[in-house]
Amino acid sequence: MSAEAASALALSIRVAIVATLLNALIGIPLAYVLARRAFRGRALVDLLVTLPLVLPPTVTGYYLIVLLGRRGWLGAPVYAVTGWSVAFTWYAAVIAATVMALPLLVRTARAAIESVDRELEKAAFTLGRSEWRTALEVTLPLARNGIIAGLVLAFARALGEFGATLMLAGNIPGKTTTVPLAIYTAVQTGEMGEAVVLVLALTVLSCLVLILAGRLGARAT
Amino acid sequence: MSHRFSIEITKRLPGFTLDVSWVAGDGVAVLFGPSGAGKTLTLQCLAGLIRPDAGRIVVDDRVLFDAAAGVNLPPQERRVGYVFQSYALFPHLSVAGNVGFGLRDRPRQERERRVAEVLERLDLTGLAPRWPSELSGGQRQRVALGRALAIDPALLLLDEPLSALDAPLRRALRDELRAILSGWGTAAVLVTHDFTEAYRLADRIVVYENGRVIQAAPRAELLWQPASEAVARVMGLRNVLHGVVVKSMPDRIQIAWRGHTLEAVNSPTRTYLPPPETPIAFFIRPEYVRLVRKDRSLDAAHHMNRMRGTVVGETDFGTVWSLRLRLDTPGEPAQGDFDLEVEVPHLVYEILEIDRDRQWDFSIHRGSIHVLPT
Repeated sequence: MSAEAASALALSIRVAIVATLLNALIGIPLAYVLARRAFRGRALVDLLVTLPLVLPPTVTGYYLIVLLGRRGWLGAPVYAVTGWSVAFTWYAAVIAATVMALPLLVRTARAAIESVDRELEKAAFTLGRSEWRTALEVTLPLARNGIIAGLVLAFARALGEFGATLMLAGNIPGKTTTVPLAIYTAVQTGEMGEAVVLVLALTVLSCLVLILAGRLGARAT
Repeated sequence: MSHRFSIEITKRLPGFTLDVSWVAGDGVAVLFGPSGAGKTLTLQCLAGLIRPDAGRIVVDDRVLFDAAAGVNLPPQERRVGYVFQSYALFPHLSVAGNVGFGLRDRPRQERERRVAEVLERLDLTGLAPRWPSELSGGQRQRVALGRALAIDPALLLLDEPLSALDAPLRRALRDELRAILSGWGTAAVLVTHDFTEAYRLADRIVVYENGRVIQAAPRAELLWQPASEAVARVMGLRNVLHGVVVKSMPDRIQIAWRGHTLEAVNSPTRTYLPPPETPIAFFIRPEYVRLVRKDRSLDAAHHMNRMRGTVVGETDFGTVWSLRLRLDTPGEPAQGDFDLEVEVPHLVYEILEIDRDRQWDFSIHRGSIHVLPT
C-alpha cells in the first residue's frame, strides 16, 4: 500500500470515528426528543435532519459551503475574526460526514425509542424517576439495539462519504483525501492497483464493523 | 393507620367527559363498570400521569391535585403505587432490580434490606435474580405488586390486575391478591369490569358508567340494593322488570306486573314511598325463583307471589339450567318471548323432570323482589 493510500485510510477511519462520536452526542438526544416530546418546530427539525438523506450529497455539500465556507453565513464572521476557515480542512470532512450520517442514526434510534412501551416510562415516573433519569435508566437501555444499529449505519455512511466531503473539504492529498476520494482519484488517473487496494481495505473494514455490530446486538438481547 | 382519600375531578377528552366524585378509606375500593367508562383514566389522574381539567384529589390529608389552588404534584412526588394492566415490568432488570427500582435514592444497605423484605413477604425470594421474561403470569403480578409496594405508597392503584391471566389461574390469583392486599393494609383502588372479581376484591364498589359514578357503596349494599336501573344493568343483573306501583308502605311495596300484584320488601333505609300508578323498576334474581313441587301439599304461607307459567326455552350452563318462563296470563311477555329467567341446579332439574314437564307453578319470596328507585 502506497503512502498516499495509507494516509487516506488513516484519515477515513479518523473522520468516521469522530463523526460517529458526534452523531452519538447530537443524534441520540435528538432522536429521544423527536420520539418523546411534542414541541413547536418538531416537524421542521425532523425535516432538516432527514433532508441530507434524500438530497444529492453535492447539494448538501453546497449548503454546507454556503453556511461554513470562507464567505458563508457562519464562516465569514469566523474568518474575519480568526483568519481561519473550516473549509478544506479535515474538520470539514468530519462535518460533512456527520451531517450525512445523522439522519441514519436519528431515524433508526427514534424508531427504537418509539417502540419502547410508554407504560414502562409511566411506571418509572410513579416510582420517583424524573424524565431525565427515566430516559437514562429505562428508555435508552431498552432502545439499545436500535441505537447501536443506527451508530453502525452512521459509521458506515461516514466511512463512505464522498459528495458532500468533496464540496466542503476538497480533495487535498494527505489532508482531506479520504478513501472514497482516493479511489476516485486513482481510477481517474488509471492507477487501478491503488484503487483495488483501497476498495478491498474499505470492504474488509465494513465487514468488520458489521460483525462487531452483530456481536454487540447479540449481547444486548 | 387509618386511610382516607377523596377524588373529585373532571377531564374533557374528545368525545368523552370524565366527571366523577367519590371517597374511600381503608381497604380496597373497586372501580367497576364497562370498558370505556373512565375507570383507567381515573387511575391515571390519581397517579398524576394525566392532569384533570378541574377538581381536587386528597390522600390522607395530602393535597395531590387542586385545580383552584394550582396544586398538581408530579407522579414522582405522589407516593402512589401503580400496578399496570400489563404489569409493565422492566424487561432489562432482574426481579430484584424491578422491586428495588423505586428505592434507588436510598442508601444501598437500606435498599437491599427493603427489597429482601418485600421479596420475602411476596414469596419471591428464590426468583430475585430472574428476568421478567422467565416468570409465569402469577409471578409477574407479584413482582409488579412488590415493586409498587416497596416504596410504601400512600395509595396503591391496580388496573385490571387479573386480566392478563388465564381463567383458572385468574380465580386462584384473585384470592391470593385479596390476601396480599389485606395483609399489606395499604389503601388500594382497583379497576375491573368483572363483577365477580369486583365483589371478591372490594370493600367498597364504585360503579362507573360513561364517565360518571352511578353508585358508590359497600359491596354488600351494592349487591342487594343497586341504586338504580342503570346500576342493575351495569352489574349485569337479569330479570330487570317494569311494573306500576299499587301501594307503597315503609316496609313493603305492591307492584302490578303482567296481570299479577307482586309484593316486595321496601328498603327500610331508603324510605322510598312512590305514589300509586308510579312506573317502577325491580329485579328478581333467577336463582331465587321457587318452583312449586306438584307432589307436595300446598302451604300457602310458604309461597308468596304465586304465578303459573310455561318453560319456553332453556340453556344448560354445566352446573345449572337457566329456564325461560312465560306466564300464562295474557299480554305481551316482559322480556321478548319470555317473562322470567329462572335458574335451577342440575339436580333439581333432574328430580323435577323439567325436561318433560314444562308447566309450572312458581313463587317468589317478597324479600327476593328488589325495587330499583328511579
